[in-house]
Amino acid sequence: MTATREEKPQSATLDPERFRDLADSIEAELGKLMVGQKEVIRLTLTALIAGGHVLIEGVPGLGKTVLVRSLARALHLDFARVQFTPDLMPADITGTQIISEDDSGRRRFQFQAGPIFTNLLLADEINRATPKTQSALLEAMQERQVTAGDKTRPLPLPFFVMATQNPIELEGTYPLPEAQLDRFFFKLVVPFPSADELAEIARRTTGTEEPDLRPVAGGDDLEAMSRLAREVPVAGHVMEHAVALVLGTHPDRDGAPDEVRRYVRWGASPRALQTLVLSGRIRALLAGRFNVAFEDLHAVALPALRHRIFLNFEADAAGVGADEIVNAVLAKHVGA
Amino acid sequence: MNNVERLLGAARARIVGGRALTWSARGMACAAAGALAVEAVMHVYPVDPVAPLLDACVAFGLVVVAAGWARAWPASFEVARIADAALGSRERLSTALEFAAANGSLVVLQRADAERWAASADPGGVREWRLPRFAVVIAVLAAAGAFALALTPNQALQDLRNHRAAIAAQQAAAQQIAVLAKNAEATKTAEPAQVKSLTQDLRQLAQDVRNAPDPATAVADISKAQQTLGALRDPSLPSRQQAAAAAGAQLQQNPAASKAGSALAAQDQKTAAAELRKLAGSLGSLSPSQQAQLSAALAAAALAAKDDPALSAKLQAASDALAKGDAAAAQAALRSVADRVDQLAQDASTDGAIAQAINGLQDVKSGPLAQAQGSSQSQGQGQGQGQGQGQGQGQGQGQGQGQGQGQGQGQGQGQGQGQGQGQGQGGTGRGSGQGGGSARTGTTPGKPGETIYVPSQGSPGSAQIGPGQGSSPGTDTQLVPYESVYGQFRSQALSDVDRQVIPEQERALVRAYFGDTAP
Repeated sequence: MTATREEKPQSATLDPERFRDLADSIEAELGKLMVGQKEVIRLTLTALIAGGHVLIEGVPGLGKTVLVRSLARALHLDFARVQFTPDLMPADITGTQIISEDDSGRRRFQFQAGPIFTNLLLADEINRATPKTQSALLEAMQERQVTAGDKTRPLPLPFFVMATQNPIELEGTYPLPEAQLDRFFFKLVVPFPSADELAEIARRTTGTEEPDLRPVAGGDDLEAMSRLAREVPVAGHVMEHAVALVLGTHPDRDGAPDEVRRYVRWGASPRALQTLVLSGRIRALLAGRFNVAFEDLHAVALPALRHRIFLNFEADAAGVGADEIVNAVLAKHVGA
Repeated sequence: MNNVERLLGAARARIVGGRALTWSARGMACAAAGALAVEAVMHVYPVDPVAPLLDACVAFGLVVVAAGWARAWPASFEVARIADAALGSRERLSTALEFAAANGSLVVLQRADAERWAASADPGGVREWRLPRFAVVIAVLAAAGAFALALTPNQALQDLRNHRAAIAAQQAAAQQIAVLAKNAEATKTAEPAQVKSLTQDLRQLAQDVRNAPDPATAVADISKAQQTLGALRDPSLPSRQQAAAAAGAQLQQNPAASKAGSALAAQDQKTAAAELRKLAGSLGSLSPSQQAQLSAALAAAALAAKDDPALSAKLQAASDALAKGDAAAAQAALRSVADRVDQLAQDASTDGAIAQAINGLQDVKSGPLAQAQGSSQSQGQGQGQGQGQGQGQGQGQGQGQGQGQGQGQGQGQGQGQGQGQGQGQGGTGRGSGQGGGSARTGTTPGKPGETIYVPSQGSPGSAQIGPGQGSSPGTDTQLVPYESVYGQFRSQALSDVDRQVIPEQERALVRAYFGDTAP
């Protein structure tokens, strides 16, 4: 199930049909526990296939934790959960050196791995930890390794961080720094369920039967899916369009919408472009196509860009959010 | 890629057709805008004819259409992108085209997917044609503006045409004057010095007319030349011709001198001179009675030729010598008479050449005169007031009908310039014609309210320039309003005819003329 980088075997090649079958199976398993939220599920799966981390934002009780736990079970991955609090220390996540005594009575330092050494890490309410603790995730998310003491230790592969944050109760929270935010592949906003979905949630969770999730794929399958997705051809003008979308979020660029010029302090990073293109490739395959279309880019623009656009004070004062900015960029470029 | 290529080919045809319509509209807009610009500029800087410029605008529009269409010719990849967008193929066509030569499992699958999709696609969905509203609006507005400007009276263009017509008229007049000079130079029988002077004057005039700044100046130059040429004429020639004819009428009653007399009476001075020399040579063969009769005839001829004192004296000398029986002296006197008649013939020839040149100039003057009048009228009314009122006196030259001679020289004293038409008045039946005529202006009276200008040679101090009008546009100091000189001309002409022996019916003709030409 879990494999370190050194022992990871070359996964078998995948054909597009198998790709879709696996994706459908995973989504079907998640659907057993999750009611509605199909777009969130699809985008989460897209991020996992791309090897990216996901920041999920939503009010309590929308199933964020259930989603991550279900993913771990459907993918047959190790799962760990860390509840971020203000007193959480980096060592509480990464692990620490402890003094242990062997059978002969000799004492020596031994590394006690933290919860980060898993395949799927749920960083619950990540914005409640101090920036110092938040930053402990930086190396893990980008390099997929942890440095503790004088030794760097690789994390098991695949390694995903699913972080959640609550948009309300912001008192006593620490907004994630820009560098940390940029390392999240997607930022997903979990919408509140509809009335029908709420009723269905009630039926499923208050009865006697509990859905039994079975693993339908593994880490190797995700790796193979990722490799296949990276082979999807992207036409030049589609790539140029992705670049234009990213550059459109920069207020100092020609052709930026008025909203961007007025409210944006800093636009999306090159990681945003990588996210757009890679998620567009995956979405094309999931849609049964073998090329990236404009609509693939537009479909993932919000989760890929919203957390990479940094607004100024005027935007805060006017109540303008990043989603409005991304929509303005899309409105300018769609159909151009 | 057959299906993809077929679909893209059909899409390209539709795109190219749509762009052709678009660029046609833009070309029309360019052509119409060009025509509008041409018409607008034409009102300031006229060009005549304008058709080549308008043709250039059309050509410019066609160039825009051709160049724009060629430049807008879609590349294959552009066609694929447009087809993708129009047909909703989700970039299948453009991706397949871009990766047509690439390898890879997904690339191959993508091409196959595009093929499948293209097989069922309808290229009719590719509609790139959009009405170029801006170009159409520009084309319609510019064309309407150009048309309206074309219909608007263009004073600048009219001035240009008048100027060109004036130049053409001057050039034509100069050429005609040059022909007159050539003809005058070819005259053999005239006085060489006079011919030389006449020729020089005409050539100088041709140059002056060609270089004249405007038709009015050219007309003035011609009028001045006419006066100069008129001064070359011998004013005593008509009386001398009349005296010779009267003498001939007397001589033709004498058998010996009848031939010479007849020739003289018929104004055939050459023949008369030859006959007189023959008569001088045959005096010795005449009987005394015949000599006496001849002496009497010569005396009568001398009396009849009293208007030419020299001729009369020579005839009287011949008569006296014959009466004395001095045949040699009579012979010499008759030869002297013949010489005098020869001189008369030469003078008549010279005068004829001059008269012909003057008459020719009158014809020549009609072209520039018409231009000068047109130019003056085109400047608008209101110039009548304050025009220089010159008092000029010209000479009308005309052709008179001399009785007893097929073509006589009529000389009339008239006022103004113009085609003089003199009518010769027959003499007393003795074959001498009296040229008496009235000058008739070449310009006809205008319509009521219309100001007509005639050239004048104002005498110094007699010109009256109205205040503030002397330098007004179109004012020509050589031209005066017709009505301002009419009365003076009329009184002068009537006074002249009243002072001369002119039949009443001819006087009535002069009065009728001025009655018809009253302003």
